[in-house]
Amino acid sequence: MKEPMARGRQTDADERTPIRDRWSARPSGDSDEALAGALLRSAAVVPPFGAKNLADVAARLRSRERHLTRRWAWQVAIAVGLLLFGGALYAAVLHILRGPSLRTLPAAVPVSMPASASVRRPHAVVAPPPAPALLPEPEPSSVVRAEETHAPRLAFRGATQESVATKVSLEPPPALPPSPSALAQESRLLAGAIHKLRQEQDPGQALAMLDEHRARFGANGALEPEANVTRIEALLRLGRHDQALGLLDGLALTTAGVGREMLVARAELRAEKGRRAAALNDFNSLLSADAPPDAVSERALYGRATCRAQMGDGAGARADLENYLSRFPTGRFANQARTLIGK
Amino acid sequence: MTLVRSDATPVIESRSGVPDLEALYRAHAPTVARWAAKLAGPLVDVDDLVHEIFLVVRRRLPEFRGEAKVTTWLYRITERVARESRRKDRFRRWFSRARHLEIERTMAPPHLTPVDEFERRQSSETVYRILDRLPGKYRNVLILFELEELSGEEIATLTGLKLATVWVHLHRARARFIAEMKRDSGRRT
Repeated sequence: MKEPMARGRQTDADERTPIRDRWSARPSGDSDEALAGALLRSAAVVPPFGAKNLADVAARLRSRERHLTRRWAWQVAIAVGLLLFGGALYAAVLHILRGPSLRTLPAAVPVSMPASASVRRPHAVVAPPPAPALLPEPEPSSVVRAEETHAPRLAFRGATQESVATKVSLEPPPALPPSPSALAQESRLLAGAIHKLRQEQDPGQALAMLDEHRARFGANGALEPEANVTRIEALLRLGRHDQALGLLDGLALTTAGVGREMLVARAELRAEKGRRAAALNDFNSLLSADAPPDAVSERALYGRATCRAQMGDGAGARADLENYLSRFPTGRFANQARTLIGK
Repeated sequence: MTLVRSDATPVIESRSGVPDLEALYRAHAPTVARWAAKLAGPLVDVDDLVHEIFLVVRRRLPEFRGEAKVTTWLYRITERVARESRRKDRFRRWFSRARHLEIERTMAPPHLTPVDEFERRQSSETVYRILDRLPGKYRNVLILFELEELSGEEIATLTGLKLATVWVHLHRARARFIAEMKRDSGRRT
């Protein structure tokens, strides 16, 4: 053990020995040192830094500011370029990771569509008015039977999704709010369904997209109430009234805003299915004292008259029809009403 | 040769003790250029390097308190700028070989014939290829001793090392140089 240490100390002592001869000063030879010296001599020759070089560099030093500014400008340009490229890359990665953005959402929500444009129920076929003596004999099939292509245009088209969500108390709110990306996907699906339904007039495809929405988000979807409303509309357009009524039966509807339109649709469907008492309740709710004289009230008044007639309440039916003619003398059902009361 | 040779013009200092840049440049630019050329190797533009060095000198001049010799201070700046230049040069080699050759031609001593110049360039490239494989502290000491022909004491003054450390570094640098030279010649044959 002592011997290597002693050798180490000896090496250190040797390494501290001053060197007086330079390899580069040795004459040429075959030894390693001589070869190294020859090599080093060749590298020792450098061109002199003459007066011209001195003057050039001095001039450059004097114009330092301009030189640095030019370089600084380049550096800034490169940095800005890198920043823009990085930003674009970041946005692209985000877009890919999060899926489609919310760009489609505004187009899907028909905010500016006037409500009155879609509330009408054109081409509704009403049974010919029974004579007063015949009123007790109801005609179940004659109640509010609409043509399939038009009858489902019962409501909602004019309503914004927001108004549906705020004015109609549908489902309990989801327990946990979904993540933003989930909301974006949900919005995309719902927007697609609404587009299919209202722009492309394809309720079948709309329903398929709503089914996909339900499969992916279930009852916890943040837009489930809006999806429900759209589903009802699609079912009505497809003539699947039983399913539409099943959904409407499950809703707690109010007589305000879009709720009124859904309520009158439910009343008409209930009457169609022979559930006249329930239909009458809905019609009564709609025809309260403060009901506005709008298309919903018009439908409700005529529907209640028909319902009362079918239930054997000839006097009530007549009173509603007369009321109808006084309030809507040029209404859609005015001719039928006049025929029914024999005017 | 000595450290300051013929350009040992005393540095003019202002009243506050801060040297004047113009005087510093006049007195030391040739020495700094020589150091820079030898430390950075043949593939650099010495004018550019001197310019960079004196830009640093101008920026740092107010901080100079005279605790070290001006030459020591200048050498340290030169060594740092040359090291940085070599680092950048390694990066540039990825892009253009032609540029290096062009720069080297501008550095060639004018009195050499084309054949001499070719041989000198080959040898110079070999020396710096070997030197670049040495650790920086050995590399610089060897350059100052063999190429700049400074004494151990002058190297100690310039680098701020103890004299004994200079000798240790020089011994080790020489051993490494021989080893790398043999390896280089073996690789080339």
